[in-house]
Amino acid sequence: MDSLPDAIVQYILSYVDNARDIAVCNCVSKRWKDSLPYIRRLYFPRNSFENNAGRDNPDNVVWRMIASIVQLDELVVYCPFSSAGLASWLSLVSSSLRRLELRMDNLAEQQACLETPSKLDCIGAAKDLESLKLWGVLMTCVPKWDIFPKLRNLEIVGARLEGPALSSAIQACPNLTSLLLLGCEGVRSVSIDLPLLEHCKLDFYGLGNCSLSLTSPKIESLEVQGCSWIRVRETNCLRNLSISNNSGRVYMVDFGKLRALEFLSIRGIQWCWDAVSKMLKWASEVKHLYMKVEFTGDYEALQPFPEVDLVDFFNSHPKLQKFDVHGAMFAALCQKNSLKNIDTAFTIPCLEEVAITVRSPLNAEQKMGTLESLVKYGKSLKTMVIKILQMKSSHSSADDFFDEICRFTYMNRKLVRIE
Amino acid sequence: MSSSSSSSSSPPCPKKMITLKSSDGETFEIEEIAALQSKTLENMIDENCASTPIPLPNVKGKILAKVVEFCTKHAEAGADAETLRAWDAEFVGVEHAIVFDYILAANFLEIPTLLDLACESVAEMIKGKTPDEIRKFFNINNAFSPEEEEDVRRQNQWAFE
Repeated sequence: MDSLPDAIVQYILSYVDNARDIAVCNCVSKRWKDSLPYIRRLYFPRNSFENNAGRDNPDNVVWRMIASIVQLDELVVYCPFSSAGLASWLSLVSSSLRRLELRMDNLAEQQACLETPSKLDCIGAAKDLESLKLWGVLMTCVPKWDIFPKLRNLEIVGARLEGPALSSAIQACPNLTSLLLLGCEGVRSVSIDLPLLEHCKLDFYGLGNCSLSLTSPKIESLEVQGCSWIRVRETNCLRNLSISNNSGRVYMVDFGKLRALEFLSIRGIQWCWDAVSKMLKWASEVKHLYMKVEFTGDYEALQPFPEVDLVDFFNSHPKLQKFDVHGAMFAALCQKNSLKNIDTAFTIPCLEEVAITVRSPLNAEQKMGTLESLVKYGKSLKTMVIKILQMKSSHSSADDFFDEICRFTYMNRKLVRIE
Repeated sequence: MSSSSSSSSSPPCPKKMITLKSSDGETFEIEEIAALQSKTLENMIDENCASTPIPLPNVKGKILAKVVEFCTKHAEAGADAETLRAWDAEFVGVEHAIVFDYILAANFLEIPTLLDLACESVAEMIKGKTPDEIRKFFNINNAFSPEEEEDVRRQNQWAFE
């Protein structure tokens, strides 16, 4: 190791980012100590100062380490710190720091809007940030941020937010290409207007009744959990869309044409039928469709789906290759015209994989008809997986139905299997 | 062999080979496409110096053989990322003295993929060790004066608690 040139030693050490390892490396030899100012990334794990005898203030230790580095690109701090500490670190590195990740840990705090600059406010000093990731954030006041002109990636995980504070924070990041808000509560309505946004993942806790309005003409991938009202008008680039709601009812969706959409996933306990049918109508080019909506109904009452004609459905989704049918959709598929009247030219041309969940033996004949049609008209079908959940009734009809499915599986055993 | 074409693409033509000569006189053949991963070799090929065996006085035969193996593997078309990662892990899963030789060769021949791989693997060997363990493992001369050593130790005391 001693025979390696200095530049190589520096390069090797630049792969060491754990602050404790760096501190140890400082003590190895004079050459190593002299090489460490050239590392670019510093990471303080959660337990960095757990055994601290109380002699050294952790904020100061972090400060000293940062101060010894010539040009720090990335700082990750998971151990506890104060806002004064954060301010002191950022004043050292504000010109070079590109990536910042902090465990804020202020969810437990009740007070909002204290006089002293909050940790969030202090982040504003790192003006040239390209990526910001925060864990456990309390954002009830508008953070005193100017603009982060270079910020491309913003991630907030585990947060309590208020609408105005969130909107203001997003406005300070006009050039975002990727936005992730996960495990966030307190949001009722959010309006996002980001011209360069390509990836967006939103996960809102609570009653599932958030409203979202998104204006981002370049959006390619969107995932939303916990909204009941969603408006995204500019969707020319949207390829992946996933909408789910575990706690509330999805009642309004307003999307532009989904010309580029390849993957659509809609999930939830209850969606208004208008919302379901609109999504299915707009997603006419989709290649992979995942449906797991349990009920429909415009009000509190949970309703089964209305009938969905199988021929119409597949004719309006001609590019469909992969179809996951769970929840109420399978029970709704039927043939409004009898099997004999189906246009002989009807095929399901691209369908290769189907996954179905079967729950109840009601309308067994209709369901068997659907399974048989899929196999008969699915010229490209490669696999069909049938998942059978607890059948509600202990009636013999459940056994009969199960027998029928087994027989069907056996007769099409190259394609079909039961899970 | 003509040296005017920069890349061979049609299967029927024989693959263009370059000959490398190690410091201890061994010669090795490498496909031109694989050799292009080395910026040093790429420059030589561009300037048409690549027809005679290229002498590499800084690289021993034993190491050069492995470097050729690495470049050839990484020039393969259609290798999936996971398999390649596993192959890489095995490639550097050797004694650290040899990994240092890889680093020096990759530095001299300017092969960024090999340099990154080897340096990262050395960094992994450093993580979690104490200064003494690191010194012993890598045979490093301390070079601190007793006062300097005490000083630096005190400044980084938190890491030893």
